[in-house]
Amino acid sequence: MNTEPIWKSWFARHGAKLLLFARQQSRRPDEAEDLLQEAFVRIWRLYGHTGEVSPGLVYRAIRRLAIDWARSIDRRQARENKVALDAPLSFSFDRTLEQDERKQALLRAVERLPAQQKEVVTLKIWGELTFDEIARTLDESLNTVASRYRYALQKLKDWVPEEMEGKKEDSSAKS
Amino acid sequence: MNELEKLEAELKELQPAAPSEQFISRLENALGDAGNVAMRCMPDEEESRGGNPSKHSSSPIISFPRLVAFTGLAGIGLAAVWAMVFYLSSSLAPTGTKDLVSDLAPEDSLALVEESSLAQVEDPDSPLHGLSLEEIQDVSVMPVSGWLDPQMNERFLRVVDEGIFERPGGLPARRVRHFFMDETLWSNPASDTRILSTTPREEVILIELDTY
Repeated sequence: MNTEPIWKSWFARHGAKLLLFARQQSRRPDEAEDLLQEAFVRIWRLYGHTGEVSPGLVYRAIRRLAIDWARSIDRRQARENKVALDAPLSFSFDRTLEQDERKQALLRAVERLPAQQKEVVTLKIWGELTFDEIARTLDESLNTVASRYRYALQKLKDWVPEEMEGKKEDSSAKS
Repeated sequence: MNELEKLEAELKELQPAAPSEQFISRLENALGDAGNVAMRCMPDEEESRGGNPSKHSSSPIISFPRLVAFTGLAGIGLAAVWAMVFYLSSSLAPTGTKDLVSDLAPEDSLALVEESSLAQVEDPDSPLHGLSLEEIQDVSVMPVSGWLDPQMNERFLRVVDEGIFERPGGLPARRVRHFFMDETLWSNPASDTRILSTTPREEVILIELDTY
């Protein structure tokens, strides 16, 4: 009988979602992995011996660390990094999406969302957290989180067709 | 399903890209001992491939303590038989033998001593004094040759968190105790025999904690 550290299977289940959230929270795209590593190691050192760690704890640690790290970066650098942050969201998803126009439009619409709504959508859809867990992760009330999600979905519903149309217009203008 | 639910379902279909292997190994290094505090037992490769794991299970397994006890008892029995034979041979021998030996010439008595010492010659390969390999084989009913290299296996049993304590330097640390069972398996395909030795072992890991 072989043995394997539990964190590996745990990370295989949650790593991709956590990295997506870390990418959203970090000020620089190359900082996301550092952020996730720091948050995960801290939480696993505290609770890893139990064999099962709630992903919500790691999401919360990512967010708090991101805030701490952002404070330590000076304003000028933060402004420069804001440009780097505008890397397409599709970079954080499987590359096979590139062929699917509808899915690309969806991601472009998610990118247009205000940051606060985008993080709620990320935690709800891909993080698979409950509204209660999201509220605790973001230090917001349950109602605030739920309404941000509702508004976000409403916007996405309106924006996806726009994105599809825009893409069609772009391609026809090019041709 | 309304439009928003459809939208949710569509979003859920999009899968975030998995972290790279390079990042996973970086994480493993960063975790250090903390990564090994909780372990999961994995099925053997042979079993997971759907192979027949009972190939060896039909052969008898003799546990190491049982083998030692058996060999010990057999040795005592052999010694008792040898003492009995020696006693009987000396007591039943004709009384004239002693006189015969004393009547022998010095050269003849020397030859007799050499002959008796040759009969008790040591087998250099034998691990037991006074017994040759063949005799050990007869007594223990175990083959002497044909053993494969022993297979070592570390079996994880459980982990116990002993809590947080303060180290001499004043830094907090978590103490975690791991319990393992080390198994050594000797097998002899010719006689279809296996000997399994199990030894319990404990490991204590100290995980330094950050004050965050």
